[in-house]
Amino acid sequence: MASLGGSSSSSTEYIVRVPKNTSKKYSIMAFNSGDKVNCSSWTQARMERDMSNRRMYGVEETEEGAAGSEFGKKQREEARRKKFGIVTREFKVEDQPWILKVNGKAGKRFKGTKKGGVTENASYYIFTQCPDGAFEAFPVNGWYNFVPQAKHRTLTAEEAEEEWGRRNKVVNHFSIMLQRRLREQERGPDDDDEEGEKGGKKKKKKGGRGGDLRIHDLEDDLELSSDESDSSGGEDGDSKPKKKGGDVKGKGKKKKKKRGSDSEANEDSDDGDFEGLEVDYMSDESSSEEEAGEEKAKSNKEAVPKGIDEASESEEESEEEKQNEEEGKEEEEEEEGKKTPVQTKKKRDSSGESDTSEDSDIDGEAASALFMVKRTPPKRGGGRGSGGSSRTGSRPGTPSIDSASTSNTLRAAASKLEQGKRHVVGGSSESPAAKRLKMESSSMAVTTQSPAPSGKSTPQPPSGKSTPSSSDVQLTEEAVRRYLIRKPMTTKDLLKKFQTKRTGLSSEQTVNVLAQILKRLNPERKNVNDKMHFYLTE
Amino acid sequence: MSEKTEVDLTGAKQNTGVWLVKVPKYLAQQWAKASGKGEIGKLKIVKKQGKADVSFTLNEDLTSLSALGEKAASVRAPRDHPFTMHSVGGQTLAVFTETSADKISLEGMVVQRAECRPAVNENYMKLKKLQIEVSTKPQRLTEQMDRAVTNNFKPVANHVANVEYEKKKKAEGRMVRADRQQVMDMLFSAFEKHQYYNIKDLVEVTKQPVTYLKEILREIGVYNAKGTHKSTWELKPEYRHYQGGEEEIKSD
Repeated sequence: MASLGGSSSSSTEYIVRVPKNTSKKYSIMAFNSGDKVNCSSWTQARMERDMSNRRMYGVEETEEGAAGSEFGKKQREEARRKKFGIVTREFKVEDQPWILKVNGKAGKRFKGTKKGGVTENASYYIFTQCPDGAFEAFPVNGWYNFVPQAKHRTLTAEEAEEEWGRRNKVVNHFSIMLQRRLREQERGPDDDDEEGEKGGKKKKKKGGRGGDLRIHDLEDDLELSSDESDSSGGEDGDSKPKKKGGDVKGKGKKKKKKRGSDSEANEDSDDGDFEGLEVDYMSDESSSEEEAGEEKAKSNKEAVPKGIDEASESEEESEEEKQNEEEGKEEEEEEEGKKTPVQTKKKRDSSGESDTSEDSDIDGEAASALFMVKRTPPKRGGGRGSGGSSRTGSRPGTPSIDSASTSNTLRAAASKLEQGKRHVVGGSSESPAAKRLKMESSSMAVTTQSPAPSGKSTPQPPSGKSTPSSSDVQLTEEAVRRYLIRKPMTTKDLLKKFQTKRTGLSSEQTVNVLAQILKRLNPERKNVNDKMHFYLTE
Repeated sequence: MSEKTEVDLTGAKQNTGVWLVKVPKYLAQQWAKASGKGEIGKLKIVKKQGKADVSFTLNEDLTSLSALGEKAASVRAPRDHPFTMHSVGGQTLAVFTETSADKISLEGMVVQRAECRPAVNENYMKLKKLQIEVSTKPQRLTEQMDRAVTNNFKPVANHVANVEYEKKKKAEGRMVRADRQQVMDMLFSAFEKHQYYNIKDLVEVTKQPVTYLKEILREIGVYNAKGTHKSTWELKPEYRHYQGGEEEIKSD
């Protein structure tokens, strides 16, 4: 330090040094003059980086390690981002703002944001004087502007807008913040994260809350008992206060909240608001009356829950409505379910059959057997009472009827045809035979049924040719002979004569039987029009 | 998460005063070249009837410029730099430092602000001219290309890249089925690293034919057709042992 003499001036020289290898990084902390910050008055201070912006920039790191990770996920994500041209800015810790807390919890809080463009064209240096008189210059790394943070409560943007609209009307400005404080209290202390997510939901739901209160209550009651955790949807805010203070209080709070929220900007509930809401079915009458009627009648009788059988039965019921009443009656009488009772029923039915237009025991038996199979489900209104109870009684032990009920639709159709036939053909003996055979053939598929009727009825169709049946529709040797005597016929013609509908045989059977008959008859052959005709001479 | 660093307030308490000086870029560059103790120059303060004139003189050895290229050899950095002093004004400026160990300490308060200006002379003008030349050079340049860029290509029987690829594939040959147990071990170790795998990735990892690999996978793993991890394979629940990222040896 050399001092040069001068008359009224004194100059001093100092050496300036720029220390190398300092680990310290110098930064400027700038305060606003209006804040009247006096650093020397600080007793204690804490400072840290404000990392709240990390998730904006940083990719949400999904779990590292094995669980939940995919092979090559990172590369794929990167490639994807490149393809779409998404440029994510890096999260630089250096550029994050500072949070400075002075004098502990009760003291002031400052937020220091980095000022950009400081070191671009010129550098700032801090000159400090060392004890030896020399100056040391340090370059400034960053400039942070510190602003004090408000500790008092503030309105959110939405609230502020609302208040702004009412500024001419509101006289008592203190009440604004008071209301807000009250609202906050209701929502609970640890509301921070939920406020954001629920805020939007709540606002929407509040409009509909009046109408929804009832339903939501129910849900809430269930919720309380089942799980403690908050669920999404309308119960959010409600369940929380509820948990704290019981149902009544909760409801009261709900209402209060609603009132409080009235002062906020609410959506009016428009028409479409209630569209997607799910309502309990308790109040809805959706089932058809008929069904309901039937169901009720049944349920009145028995408190037993409906089994699958009964359910299928009721289905069939409606189908079978078209059937004759008589048959219905038969069914009821028959309905005792087991195989032996089946047979006894059949006997009974034969007596009951006298009601029908065609009477013949065989017919009746066969008919009853088949009808029993088919008719299990269907019931008239009147007969249902007894039928129902008897049926339920017999339910457990009737596999045969079960199978019948499942194939009922087919049977129904078949039986319809039969009926038609029955009415048409008249009360001759041929009809029972026809019917019996027909029924037998139609019951071929029902395994449990075939033994019963077959046991009863006279010989099977294959042996039918020797049956002393008196129907000219029957495929008998006599009939064939008659035809062949009258005029020569081809096999086709013969077949046409013995239509499967009328003889009750399948086409194959007809063919077989016819072949056998012809063998026996050994008719003479004649070729007419290039076709082989058979004929007999008496 | 991070604990708040206690700020060392000794500087503030002592009311250490510092100067904040704005220095031109070229000068800062020269200062960075300082050697030894770091001496860069001399600061001269002349107090004249209340006013103070501060000027800085750059050390001789630091006047040679090298930053601006060949031309810089002829030009030297000016040596005299008068300081312009300002008051701090309304702002309260404090200086704090941060060490590499994340220790924050308050160094002091700024009492004077200054601007370092170069003395206007011939030398400086030349320097400035040089700087302007450098900065006015356009960043984008137009070059002439020897071959034009086009999207029309002549038809080729087989592309070069394709041919090479096929050759490579042939050289590798078909993948041989390894022992079943071995493959399973490979799979288990692979699944230790990641939970979900694409079948293609597994083929790459195990070098097994796809059908064979699928067979084994059906035994020990399950296929996710829907969900977040779309069409991926993962181990069956009974084989899994994931615990928040920790790796465990899976049972067979």
